[in-house]
Amino acid sequence: MSAGTVVFIAVAAVFALLVLYTIAAYNSLVALRNQIKNAWSQIDVQLKRRHDLIPNLVEATKGYAAHERQTFDSVTQARARAAGAKSVPDISKAESELSGALSRFMAVMESYPELKANRNFLALQEELASTENKIAFARQAYNDQVLFLNNKIQMFPSNFIAGWFDFRTAQYFDLEDKTERTAPKVSFA
Amino acid sequence: MFWSIIASNKRKTVILIVLMGLFLILCGALIGMGTAGAYDLHAGATGAVAAAGIWIVMLLASLFASDSILLGVSRAHEVGKDVYPQLYNVVEEMVIAGSLPAMPRIFLVDDPAPNAFAMGKSPKKSCICVTAGLLAMCSRDELQGVVAHEIGHILNRDVLYMTVAATMLGSIIFVSDAYLRTFRYTSTARVTSRSKRGGKAAGALVLVSLVLAVLGPVFARILYFSISRRREYLADATSARLTRYPEGLASALEKIGGSPDTLGDAPSVLLPFYIANPNRQSLNDGIFATHPPLEERIGILCAMGQGAGYMDYMKAYIKVTRRHRALVPAADLRDGGRVAIRPPSEDRGISPSSVGESARRAGDIIRAMNGFTFITCRCGLRMKLPPGYPGGQIVCPRCKRVHAVPRGDSGMITSVLGESAAMSAPAEGRVSAPQENGRPGNQEVRIAGGKWQQFSCDACGRSIEVSPRFGGRKLKCSSCGSVIRIVPAGDANEKTAANPS
Repeated sequence: MSAGTVVFIAVAAVFALLVLYTIAAYNSLVALRNQIKNAWSQIDVQLKRRHDLIPNLVEATKGYAAHERQTFDSVTQARARAAGAKSVPDISKAESELSGALSRFMAVMESYPELKANRNFLALQEELASTENKIAFARQAYNDQVLFLNNKIQMFPSNFIAGWFDFRTAQYFDLEDKTERTAPKVSFA
Repeated sequence: MFWSIIASNKRKTVILIVLMGLFLILCGALIGMGTAGAYDLHAGATGAVAAAGIWIVMLLASLFASDSILLGVSRAHEVGKDVYPQLYNVVEEMVIAGSLPAMPRIFLVDDPAPNAFAMGKSPKKSCICVTAGLLAMCSRDELQGVVAHEIGHILNRDVLYMTVAATMLGSIIFVSDAYLRTFRYTSTARVTSRSKRGGKAAGALVLVSLVLAVLGPVFARILYFSISRRREYLADATSARLTRYPEGLASALEKIGGSPDTLGDAPSVLLPFYIANPNRQSLNDGIFATHPPLEERIGILCAMGQGAGYMDYMKAYIKVTRRHRALVPAADLRDGGRVAIRPPSEDRGISPSSVGESARRAGDIIRAMNGFTFITCRCGLRMKLPPGYPGGQIVCPRCKRVHAVPRGDSGMITSVLGESAAMSAPAEGRVSAPQENGRPGNQEVRIAGGKWQQFSCDACGRSIEVSPRFGGRKLKCSSCGSVIRIVPAGDANEKTAANPS
């Protein structure tokens, strides 16, 4: 075997490895992007579910606390605003307002003991608590995936592949209160 | 997120399993030669192939039949959302948090001892088993911690690896046991004659194979249990990361450890999948334990401080055990800064205040699981009717009110603890109308016609009586004001119109 063939084989092997790596990296980026889409739709599903639960909740509690008109109104209004929001920052804002309104609503309802004995209300309460949790966990899963994708896009060597095929970093979804976000964070990493 | 852990776990587990496999083949070969009584390569190869064959048969059998066999053993019943909505919701939450591709099947085990385990070879087809005792004892956060631990087992594919390892352990035990048996049942004369035939070298060979047959299972067990314990730590870490609330799992483990009940018939193959070792009398610590000591696991979870990420778990692990061991691969430790612990949920539901109450709840859950019907009387008394109750009516023993007993096949929801799944299915022939344009949903009640009907308002529980001629009209509940539409039975195309009298 002449030196030329050896060099040729070596170059071909390296090239083949590069192609294989590119394919693998591209596929994992696509898979991640799809997972993010999936996680986002999961958030959507849960937000919608919460919107659907609110009328039931208001209806079930109205008879017990009819004079708490203000509380009822604030929840229904927050729901209407959240249902109408279109862009991501709008949705974030409206949904966190709705969360606040709902937790105030539940706090008010806690002071009606006969309501706590109502089977229907208790079931709704569990559904609502679970839906709130599901929203939080869907957001958490979405942010985990975003972190992972962004790491891939920015880190060597997958950043080349991401650059060639125009993968963009995704945005985190934050629902937290502003006060929470401005709290100082100390990192030892 | 999870696949890099899976990748690293895969590597380590594959190394350990290959080690175990080589060991199995070595045992087979040496025992084969020992049986032949000579340094005979042919006998050795036969022994090795036989050992491998035994393992493959065991593996296939357990892979194809494991779920059904094991679930049958543990008296588990599959449940939907109706029996215990909170459990279903918590599992759903954790499925979302872990981005599992499919909802696992949920099983309830009819046992007062608190425990839980997961089954299933892949995240697509998995099941989670929870005992009635655990449900009765745990608050929402605690249940969430336990379920997340089991989801962690599923995500990390522990079940598959532990099955492979367990069948290897099983075949090593089987092979050495069979070999030792041949000694027990043959006279020493034959053994000496065997070694005489091959000379001194063969005698040494018999000795070596004997030693291996005795020590082999011990060594294999040590390997197996070390894999198992490592997986428990990892599942705990995953649980903390998924729930962002390590204290939930910690306090659940504390309750499980403090419970006097022990699970009756836990098959030993299943032990690594339980949240905590069900039989505490067995060798519970040291190198023969399937689970790390409970106190240590609780200590680590409590020492996690501000974060719930894998990094925080690692730091806590090193702090508590003073061992430096890579439980979690470096790639997953990067998320340390972002993972903050959430505040405890308000747990508006129920947290049993006493042992008696918890036992009563466990009993109710088991009854609901077995098809009992629960009827709550307006006077507050709850009646529990067995599944075979001969339909018709029941009179409340306290206030003498008459209640209709729904037929077993009417799709009546048996609800426990006053939490009915009112939204998921029509109960008592009543459906909530779909909501449109944000208008509150109205109730609908179907009546059979021909006689006066009594039913209770969905929103406030007030009981209302209507005349048969009232069909097709709307009614306002006099106590809460919600609108109820009365639908005559012939009108709707609903076949299963239950008739509350």
